[in-house]
Parts: sequence; structure tokens; C-alpha cells
Amino acid sequence: MVAPYRALAKNVPASRDSRGFLLCSLSLAAFLSASFATTRGQTLEQPRRAPAAEAPDEAGIPVTDPLVIAKCGACHANDGHGNIERISTARTTPEGWQDVLRRMVLVKGMSLTPPEARTIVKYLSTHLGLAPDEARPVMYDAERRIHDESDVANEELVDACTKCHTFARALSWRRTAGDWKQFLEGHAERYKIPPHEGAVAFFARAAPLITPGWTGWSNRTRAQNLVGRWLVTATLNGRGKYYGEMVIEAAGAGTDDEFKTRVNLRSAKDGSALMREGRSALYDGYAWRGRSKGGVSASAAPDDPASEVREVMCFAADQSRAEGRWFWGQYQEFGFDVKLQRAVPDDARLLVIDGTALKTGSQGQRIRLIGDNFPGEVIPADVNFGPDVTVRRIISHSATEIAVEVDVSAGAQSGRRDVAFRHSSIEGALAIYDRIDYIKATPESTLAAFGGPGWPRGYQQFEAIGYQRGPDGKRHTADDVQLGPVDVTWSIEVFYAPADTNTDTVGNVSTTGFFTPAAESPKSNFDVWVIAQAREEKDADGKPLVGKAYLVVTVPFYTFNGRRYVRDLERWVDDGPARAGQ
Amino acid sequence: MRNTFLTAVLITAAGLFLLPGSASAHHGWAAFDPDSTVTLHGTVTDFHFTNPHCVVEFDVKDDKGQNQKWQGELTSLNRLARKGWSATSMEAGDDITVSGYPARNGVLVIRISKIAVKGRELIVDMGN
Repeated sequence: MVAPYRALAKNVPASRDSRGFLLCSLSLAAFLSASFATTRGQTLEQPRRAPAAEAPDEAGIPVTDPLVIAKCGACHANDGHGNIERISTARTTPEGWQDVLRRMVLVKGMSLTPPEARTIVKYLSTHLGLAPDEARPVMYDAERRIHDESDVANEELVDACTKCHTFARALSWRRTAGDWKQFLEGHAERYKIPPHEGAVAFFARAAPLITPGWTGWSNRTRAQNLVGRWLVTATLNGRGKYYGEMVIEAAGAGTDDEFKTRVNLRSAKDGSALMREGRSALYDGYAWRGRSKGGVSASAAPDDPASEVREVMCFAADQSRAEGRWFWGQYQEFGFDVKLQRAVPDDARLLVIDGTALKTGSQGQRIRLIGDNFPGEVIPADVNFGPDVTVRRIISHSATEIAVEVDVSAGAQSGRRDVAFRHSSIEGALAIYDRIDYIKATPESTLAAFGGPGWPRGYQQFEAIGYQRGPDGKRHTADDVQLGPVDVTWSIEVFYAPADTNTDTVGNVSTTGFFTPAAESPKSNFDVWVIAQAREEKDADGKPLVGKAYLVVTVPFYTFNGRRYVRDLERWVDDGPARAGQ
Repeated sequence: MRNTFLTAVLITAAGLFLLPGSASAHHGWAAFDPDSTVTLHGTVTDFHFTNPHCVVEFDVKDDKGQNQKWQGELTSLNRLARKGWSATSMEAGDDITVSGYPARNGVLVIRISKIAVKGRELIVDMGN
């Protein structure tokens, strides 16, 4: 028997009953906790009814799914033409609809089983979703990436939106002008914030319900055909490049938008293998949402790449490629940046090279080219590193790997360049440089979090990346050439601490740049330099190059005016009434 | 990519944290004494154009000619970027003169209210 979703929601600990955790909690409940039951087959086969071009914006998009009509229509009026109040006048991402459903369950008392929730989210995300071009600029929100939003149009919008959530959260929606007004008025009342008339006008103009992009995407007909073998490349901060394959199978007979996956990855850095299995769903023909895990044990390190991850990806319209993030961690601080490309039988494909940079004048450098379907015979002319880099010989080759030896002339032009095997190339795969001018400790500014009772810590992996000054000859300018990881020693220095606090308890950084905060919160935040000192590279004065990252180690939560606030990515969000001992 | 997120943490939390009874936040400016102003002349050793605070590290020669290592704190990258600052606004070796509020606890840290690099004054935003 499937537990009513309302009951599941009641069991959610109060610490999860916050805006910050809506997505994660509902995602788990709606997609992953139960088996993938066969969903109502009519949802994806139905032709979507985008309003005619001449139809007024306020007309809305009719809802045709019986379950949505039954569940949502119990409270939301139907205009008799299929338009359901507040639903037909809005579009958003799967996460946006999950957020709405969860609020309806928690606040409005809506009763849903997990299969019903999945069906409704699937229908709404498909028929009232975003076109790929609309979703792409806000994908960092669904991918749980901390992202620079310094380009928000004006201070009023900053004030209206970004104090509590990302601006992308707002721009993940499209609404009629009337619905934007109604939504923003309700939002102001619910969260006790002043109304922003300018915000209504902005969103009505910038994010209308009907757009050419949406109409065009809605009118496209396409078969769901992701089943098969896909080539995977991925990078994981601190662990480098991975490559391998993902085999996608239909989750069940007659299902074309729910999948089982098997992934085999190998680290280009150390050769270690990683196998994952998962389940996923595809919304609106491009939005991949799933979970997968490797054989991780309970005692595994928090950054173990076999950890269970949430997968968020976008497939290209022609379903030949996909890109996204597979992430985990208390603050989603760990994640693979993933790219998929469909494997084509007998097509020789270069996927990744083992190495990131070569110095001018260097001789006999060994580089591995990793790919798929490499032919039985390979000659140096098959491999191209651009001008002034000569492939001296093929050291070895197989169907998936070619090892070559190259020479770089002293006069080779510095900068990034493509690497190619016959017709298959990787853009900007290799950098040529004359010297490393400086290093950055990355991420340059970030957060970690102390633990607390029953509260996992937030970790941070740092890397030291070398840079060459670029054609303008100046450091820290846009044309600087990133050269890849540099061998360094790591240390930390607390440079701001509240009075009378013991800075010894902040945490430590490992020899690989992994910062582990203290398990117990000292109830203060600390500002810390995470310092990378190059082992070999020196500056003009002969001193080792040094890079510093600005790390703020925060408390996991705090209470104010009887309410508890927890961190959600980079923001503090209201977590509800504080409980005893907090 | 430069991030605004630490600024967001500050904006969201700072006002709350400053009130009694709450946990201490990533720092506000209470650690600096606004009733006392010092002016320093020195040489830049590093400049961090970053959030939540831009930081300039510089050497100041003391009475005995020995270098004292100072750290000057500014507002966030985003605020300074709007005033025309960039990562190249100063670099190691540049001559600077700074004025500002010294740390109350005597460490060699200053909250910068005024700064001139190679004789050219830069606009300082004193926001959080």
C-alpha cells in the first residue's frame, strides 16, 4: 500500500520543513522513494495545446490530464475551457512544480500518493514546463550550483527576490501578467515583505506565459529515444577527469520517459573504476532528473565519488548530447560536471585527454587520448595538437586509448588549443604555456559549515590552478590561460575570529586540499585563508607561488526571535520555530 | 567566476546576527573602531578581489625599517565592481596609502575608508 503523500509530508522533520529543503524533500518523495510505477500513459502522448498566436496572453494553457483536473480542480476554478485558475497561467521547471505541490500538501492539506505526485509533476512539467532555451539560463538553480547573480537588472529586484532565494528561482517561472501580479502580492503577504510594483512589471515583461520559444518547442513532435549506450565525460573537483559510458534502458515495458541506468566511469588521474546504477525520468523531452549510486559503504568518506547522487541534466533537442551535474552532500557541495554524447557504432570518437597543459620547448611529453572506437591502425598524422606541437610517435593504442609522445617547439604560441583525432576533436583541450605566472586556490571564495547534533558538516574541496598571463601580458585579466592543477602544499590561516574564540577548532585542510570543519560548532563563524603554496613554481623573486581562497566556515544553523535559520547553499532560510536546546 | 554568494549570506544574515542573543555571523564591522582613524603608507603584496570582502595585503615599514604585514579589508567584490574596481586595480609592488579604522584588538588589520594606489585615489564603498 502506498502511503498518502500527506502522511509522508507530516513525517518530514521540522528541520526539512523549509523553503530551502522543499526541492530535495519532494524530489526524494516524489521520484525516488517508491518504485517507478507505470504512470498514466496518456500524459506524454497527448498533443500539447499551446494557444494560438493571436490568443490573448491571459487565456492560459488548458489542462487536460484527468488527475490534475481532479486534484487541483478541487480548489482551483476551471473556466469551462480547460483553464484551471493559477495553473493554466503559469509554467516552470520540474523543481518549480514539485515546490508548488509540496506547498499544497503542507499548507493547503492536499492529499496525494507518491505515484500521483509523480504523475502530476510529470504532466505539469511537460505541458506547462519551460522550453530548453528558457531553462538553460537558470539551470544552475536546479543543479544546485552556487552562481554569480551579479547581473540582476536592478536593486529593486535584488531587494524583492534575492535576499531569500536565487534570482533564478523567480526566473524559473513564466506567467501571465495577471498571474505575476497575483503571485507577487501573495508572496509579499506570505513572507511579510513590501510589495514591489516594479517587480510585477519586470516579470510580466521578461517572463510572460507565452513566448515564441515555448510555442516553437511545444509544436515540436519528437520521439523519446534515449535508450542505448552513451559516452560520458565528467570532472570532479579535486579528483580530475573521468570517462566511461552510461547504458540507458527503459524502466519498464511501454515506458519511454523513465529509465534505468548503469554507468561505468574510470578516473583519468589514477585509473580507479566507478560503477553506478540509477533510475531517472525525462520531462518534456529534455529535462533529466534522477538518482544513482555506486557501492558506497556506510563508513565511506563524505566525498566518496560512489556516493548516492541526484542527477540533473538537459538533453539537446536532437537527443544526441546532454550536460548537467550529479551532486551530493549536506550542502550539495560535491558534484560531477557531466557531459554525455550518444555512442555511434564504429565512429571513432575522442573523449578526453590525460593532461591539461604542455610547456613550450618540452620534448618527449607523453599524452593519453581516451575515446571510443579507435581504429586498429593509428599513425602520428591521425593526431593533431595544432601548430608547433609534433607527434613524435604512437606509443601504444587500443580501441579506447592512444598514447602518444609529443614535442613542443620553443616558439609555440601560448594559449588553449583543440586536440583532434581524425575528424573528432575536443575544443580547447590543451594549453601551451611558457611559464606559470600565478596560481589560484579555487573556489576563490566559498563556504563550509560546522556540524551539529544530528547535523552533517559541510566540506569543501580546493584545487590549485595555474595560470599564464595571456596575450596582454597582464595577470588576472580575461585573456589569462588556465593551465590546470598545480602541485602544492596546503595550509589554513584564520584571519578573522570573534573575540575569545579558539581558532584551533575551526578545522583542517588535507594534503589534497580537502577542508574538514570541526564536527561540533563553536557557535561562531570564522574567516579563513586556505593557502596553496606551489612546490616547484616560483615568482620573479624566486619565492614559491602562493594562492589564497577565502573560506567562511559557518555555524550550521542559528536561532533568532524564536525561529531557527539554516543554510541552504549560500543563504540562510527560515526553518521554522526553534526547538528546545537550539 | 566570481561569486556573490558570500555577499548574499552577509545581506541575509548580518542584520539578524548583530542583535543580541543570536549567534555570531561572518563578521560585520564591529571589530573595527570607527572613532579612531589611522593612515598607512606601504607596498601591496597581494590583492584579493573576492567576496565576501576584498582584501589587500601590504607591507608597511616600521620605525626600525622592518616590514609589518598589514591586511586591509574592503567591501564586497560586487559593490566595488560597481565603483569601477577590478582584479587589476592594484597588484603586488604597487605603492599605496590607506586610511581607515583599526582593529580594536590590535592586530594589523584595518577597515579601509580611503585608498590611493600609485597616487590615484579609488572610490571606496563602505557598505557591507
